[in-house]
Amino acid sequence: MAASEERMRALIGHAFPGGHYRIEPWENFLLTEATGADRLPDGIAHPIHLFHVPIAGVGVSIGDLFELAEAPSDASVTIDYYDWEFFEPLHELQPYAMRGGVREHERTPHAGGTVVDSLTYCIEVLAESEQVVARTTFRWHFWRFAE
Amino acid sequence: MNAEVGDHIPEWTLERVTAERMRTVAAIFRDPNPVHWDREFSERVGLAGHLVNQSPVNLGYVVNMLLAWAGPTSLRRLRVEFPAPVLDGDRVTAGGVVKSIRSEAGRRLAECEVWLDRQDGQRAVQGIAVLVLPEGG
Repeated sequence: MAASEERMRALIGHAFPGGHYRIEPWENFLLTEATGADRLPDGIAHPIHLFHVPIAGVGVSIGDLFELAEAPSDASVTIDYYDWEFFEPLHELQPYAMRGGVREHERTPHAGGTVVDSLTYCIEVLAESEQVVARTTFRWHFWRFAE
Repeated sequence: MNAEVGDHIPEWTLERVTAERMRTVAAIFRDPNPVHWDREFSERVGLAGHLVNQSPVNLGYVVNMLLAWAGPTSLRRLRVEFPAPVLDGDRVTAGGVVKSIRSEAGRRLAECEVWLDRQDGQRAVQGIAVLVLPEGG
């Protein structure tokens, strides 16, 4: 159990680099197909894009988030919740900007010396007009089992 | 559509969750977690060689139900938890019920309880969705 509570708590307020993302038509096609749905009309991106687009667009990867939280292994990460807000639909080929970071941390003790660090992330998706078009808030659990 | 409180949203079913789709999603998400694509890893961590479907895709099934019901631009908010995993080979069904309807800026918004159930009755997704109802809805 390497990660100290102090180091995890210090992640509150950590800002991701920020950046941009454009949803390509092929990406929308494949991801929509993977949900078992038909493509949406008028270049509307399937809402499932609000998972990976903010993470990639803000300049990190899922692996980076695991590393930041000092995840002991890939299998030690579980999901608490996702909260997706859409102020307008996402579209293919639109240049979106992202900003966000780590909002909250909570450490919970469990039996046998296991602890769980729960990190809440929030990332906003902005149109060229700088208007926020979508927001994702999600919390992941990082399980640290006693050795 | 003339939605009312208590209405059940027409169910949406996927007959079979496949490993091939999980691999496609893992590549697009750049998701390094082998539970989505490596059966040997799955064996080692006690999952009996089953691959675990990505949670956002489980949420995507719920989205498919909602958009089929209220239209492709209707979704405003989804807040969900994931009490159980979906594995390759599972059959899943999304469902929902309208809990309240309110007016906001000239539009009717429906708040719905939503879920995704596996074929064995286990609930894999549960939460709340907010949708803009189409004109006359």
